Amino acid sequence: MVSKTMKLVNAQGLHMRPAQVFAAEMKNFECDVNLECNGKKANGKSLMMIMACAMKCGMEVNIQCDGPDEEAALAKAVELIESGFGED
Amino acid sequence: MLKGIAASEGIGIGKVIVIRDQDVTYEQKTVANPEEEVKRLHDAVDEFMVKTERLAEDMEKSVNPKEAQIIRGHMEMLEDPFMVSQMDDMIKDEGMCAEAAAETVLNMFKAMFEGVEDELIQQRATDIEDIKSRLLKILLGIAEADLKTLPPETVLVVGDLTPSMTAELNKDNVAAIVTESGGMTSHSAILSRALEIPAVLSVLNATATLRDGATVIVDGSNGVVINDPTVDEAEEYKKKQAEYFAEKERLRAYIGKESLTADGIKKDVFCNIGNPKDGIKAKEKDGEGVGLFRTEFLFMDRDSVPNEEEQYEAYKKVCDTLANKTVIIRTLDVGGDKEIPYMNLPKEENPFLGYRAVRYCLQNKDQFSLQLRALIRANADTSGNLWIMVPMITTVSEFKEVKAFVEELAAELDMPVPKVGTMVETPAAFMIADKLAKYCDFFSIGTNDLTQYIMAADRGNSKVAYLYNTYDPAVLRAIRQIIETGVEGGIPVGMCGEAAADPLLIPLLISFGLTEFSVSPTSVLKTRAEIARWSKAEADHIAETVMALETAEEAYEQLKSFVRG
Repeated sequence: MVSKTMKLVNAQGLHMRPAQVFAAEMKNFECDVNLECNGKKANGKSLMMIMACAMKCGMEVNIQCDGPDEEAALAKAVELIESGFGED
Repeated sequence: MLKGIAASEGIGIGKVIVIRDQDVTYEQKTVANPEEEVKRLHDAVDEFMVKTERLAEDMEKSVNPKEAQIIRGHMEMLEDPFMVSQMDDMIKDEGMCAEAAAETVLNMFKAMFEGVEDELIQQRATDIEDIKSRLLKILLGIAEADLKTLPPETVLVVGDLTPSMTAELNKDNVAAIVTESGGMTSHSAILSRALEIPAVLSVLNATATLRDGATVIVDGSNGVVINDPTVDEAEEYKKKQAEYFAEKERLRAYIGKESLTADGIKKDVFCNIGNPKDGIKAKEKDGEGVGLFRTEFLFMDRDSVPNEEEQYEAYKKVCDTLANKTVIIRTLDVGGDKEIPYMNLPKEENPFLGYRAVRYCLQNKDQFSLQLRALIRANADTSGNLWIMVPMITTVSEFKEVKAFVEELAAELDMPVPKVGTMVETPAAFMIADKLAKYCDFFSIGTNDLTQYIMAADRGNSKVAYLYNTYDPAVLRAIRQIIETGVEGGIPVGMCGEAAADPLLIPLLISFGLTEFSVSPTSVLKTRAEIARWSKAEADHIAETVMALETAEEAYEQLKSFVRG
């Protein structure tokens, strides 16, 4: 398993649209993706679970990937969060 | 007369059609063949997707692409791997029928979203409710209420206006919308504004009180619904409606445009707001920024000072709403006529000349630091266009003390120092404006207090009300001098009092060199239109004539003849 903790930078946090982008990208990987944030856990491939965590800008999020393509999945997850999902 | 939330402006007159929630109760039964039941659920989900895509396409045409995204979001939510697979499990493992499985899973997510401390996500719970009701209707074979064939001049009365209802609505036939639930930021409100249909929301028992076929007037600007109006009322509102349409048509040309004088000088039209939700109004009404965000609301109607986090959230929210635009936030303006009981400010003989605003804040630095830290953090975590405005400055040392305090706190937080400026509203600040300009990043003129202090006339005292007049040459001279001093000092000067939206004063303000006009959200387009009427040369000519006059009455009459012709 590989994991990384990072800060959310996009202004609105992981609300509907970024959560949807994130989940859709993660579904392309075979490995399990789990997020831990705000004292809650979420399956990283589930838009609904991610939204229910209400991750806001400035919060720390821990990403865990476990499976054959875990390295690639983590790299993609980090890239998405770092880019702020293309928001201002 | 019924009252509710004025969610979408305009006046609609028409006949009531009540749309009642359809009955989606079903019999809970154990299924004999789970495989077949799963297939029934999947077929219903497929049908949901097809219907929803069609709704979204309709909506792109009838409303706008942004609102259609709400509907497409419903498809994404139902496509979530956890959604349908959990429903499948309930059918297979517990023998639930498809209806019960769908309802259980959707209710679970709804409860999860409702429990979250984030307004954006809480609102998604209404989306889930919408998905649930439509999916259940498909499973139960119930037809959706038909909103495509409403007769002309319908006043639609519903419990809650769902996004899917709005997509189907023939908007040309809907004169107004009345609902029993929803606030300013609900889907119902956002959608009715996008459709430009007058709407009053959260009217208690509307579906019971308003009867099918009855004539009603819906005043979406004031949040009023008049049931069975008298002939006089109907006449009055027809007139208002015609005026509203004429004005709207005139101002339409200014939507989304820069604010320019007739000879092309760029001005900014900003908004005055009193809480984070007004930020949405400012944006929708095409404000180019916020020129005054009064922070008193955060401190009122409670028992103790709001903590740093709570303040940070409120400030950040406005900056997020108006991303990349300037947001000027005024530090606490307590005292004077604004009382906050738990602060225990002693009763004073002359509260307007007493312990208020920055005078209070500098004596209560622990409390002041909460607000300043929240502002510095909100600025650092957004696009960095948050400006701090300090009210009631009378001396240079007061301002320097505030600025040094902001710099000290920003250093502690290791964050950039926001711009800090002063609200010029005391005669002292106006007399030393040149000195203040050296330290301030901007000036903003608060005309209400400035008028009262220059004229030495209490705004609330009717015996001296005749003196309280912004057209008085003394006040006009002060305004001119403040603007000119700021311009000479190389800092932007704005105005955040009522005067900034006054068509009679706008040519004077253009002539003096004012760069930013901060007005109520509903006045943005009007102010932009007034600015566009005048060139600098015409404005200078008006100013020269008016500034030579001796009394407020003369100035007023002269301005009226110039402006209204």
